Amino acid sequence: MHESTVSFESAALAVEDEAAVDASAKAVPQRTVLSPVTLTLSEPRVAVIGANGSGKSTLLKMINGLVAPSGGRVLVNGHCTRQATKRVRRDVGFLFTDPLAQLVMPVVLEDVELSLKASVPDRGERRRRALEILERLGLDHLAHRSVYDLSGGERQLVALATVLAAGQRILVADEPTTLLDLRNNALLQRTFATLEQQVVYATHDLDFAARADRVLVVDQTRVVFDGAPDEAVAAYRQLALREA
Amino acid sequence: MRGRMMTLGLAIPGRSGIHRAPLWAKYLVVLAFGVCALAWREAPVALALIGLTVLLYAAAGRRVLACWADPLRYLWWMFAILGAHQWWLAFSAGATGMESAARAVAIVGGMLAALQAARLLLLVTELTVLMDGLGRALRPLRHVGIDPEALSLGVSLMLRSIPAIAASAVEVGDAARARGIGRNPVALAGPVVVSAIDYAHRTGDALAARGLLDHDDEPTG
Ligand SMILES: Nc1ncnc2c1ncn2[C@@H]1O[C@H](COP(=O)(O)OP(=O)(O)OP(=O)(O)O)[C@@H](O)[C@H]1O
Ligand SMILES: [Mg+2]
Repeated sequence: MHESTVSFESAALAVEDEAAVDASAKAVPQRTVLSPVTLTLSEPRVAVIGANGSGKSTLLKMINGLVAPSGGRVLVNGHCTRQATKRVRRDVGFLFTDPLAQLVMPVVLEDVELSLKASVPDRGERRRRALEILERLGLDHLAHRSVYDLSGGERQLVALATVLAAGQRILVADEPTTLLDLRNNALLQRTFATLEQQVVYATHDLDFAARADRVLVVDQTRVVFDGAPDEAVAAYRQLALREA
Repeated sequence: MRGRMMTLGLAIPGRSGIHRAPLWAKYLVVLAFGVCALAWREAPVALALIGLTVLLYAAAGRRVLACWADPLRYLWWMFAILGAHQWWLAFSAGATGMESAARAVAIVGGMLAALQAARLLLLVTELTVLMDGLGRALRPLRHVGIDPEALSLGVSLMLRSIPAIAASAVEVGDAARARGIGRNPVALAGPVVVSAIDYAHRTGDALAARGLLDHDDEPTG
């Protein structure tokens, strides 16, 4: 299923730096959030690692058009994220760090159904499909629970279920394990391993990153390393140590 | 705030006649309560309406009835302030103390009755069903350029955001107390507003990412 490609073509982001505005300057100074990056991702598992504030989330949000590049462009299966945002989002699901921010309905099953609403008009069929997805992730026992009563790990898995229900071919996940304890972390990683989708994820968990097929290291707005997991992790360690 | 507020929009399942009534009938009852409370503004009417909500809650089952008093438990101070304000308005306009009290009961009681009727609707109807119904009912709005589905999603989001903001208020209060700052409401308002905006922002991103905001919006960046 993962036959997808995400291409960055000198995609970059600069924003107006409000903090640096002074009366004498004619133009508002720009601050680089992401330096131009050119690469094509087609591996089933791509991890992004790097320090806080280095630009990982920005890079990920560019894949589904939540952030539009101010220079260059990003193509998902040939569709430009800026011009064809709606089309791109049909291919890209996004899992956020905080699951509560993305769950809309009070009951687990209802939230999964909401994802299916666009594609499955019949309510009974929708319910059946939603239950099926929950079952596949081993979450059927949570179907009728309130999202407020779930543990953080359960919530994150439910959030994953709602994303998977939408059926996109690419899953982008921004630090999906950050709020999870060891057990739930392992559970989420196990679930990730079974997915047919292409997955691009940012993480601070280097063991998690090492399980990818390809790892990008982002440092101070730049992708400074792109390659095999063990080498990437070594490069990242070296960077962090040099600064310390 | 922590307890039942968190379950706003979470129906209590049941097989009572109230649960099984068609959606339009439920909406109609809520509407009728609102209209009666507004039209009569008499203390006996307000009290009768409140009594009627107790009966309706009871008819929906013991678990629903058990929630009846929740708004009073958490928001009693609001009703007290409103009541005092109404009493003062009438009193300073020349009414006697008793007349002013009747007036306050009429207004605040009417509000409580309408609120209870609306809560009952949420307690006995699954949100999905509510949203579907609302989406259908609002379909004519499509002609004036309003997307009924988006509107009904908005309503459920509104319900959803109340417990989230309540939770953040509790958290901000706890953090302030841990730092010995105390309960100064002005000091607490800032962080609560910031976290509410942040919450709205993240939810907006999440909805867009889920393709639930269907229009082609200009991406941020
Ligand atoms: N739209 C924007 N406008 C201004 N600044 C932004 C914008 N988006 C991101 N930034 C800034 O760019 C930098 C990179 O942010 P980003 O969220 O991509 O970092 P990150 O690598 O995901 O960090 P973390 O590990 O903390 O999640 C940060 O300093 C952030 O404040
Ligand atoms: Mg980030």
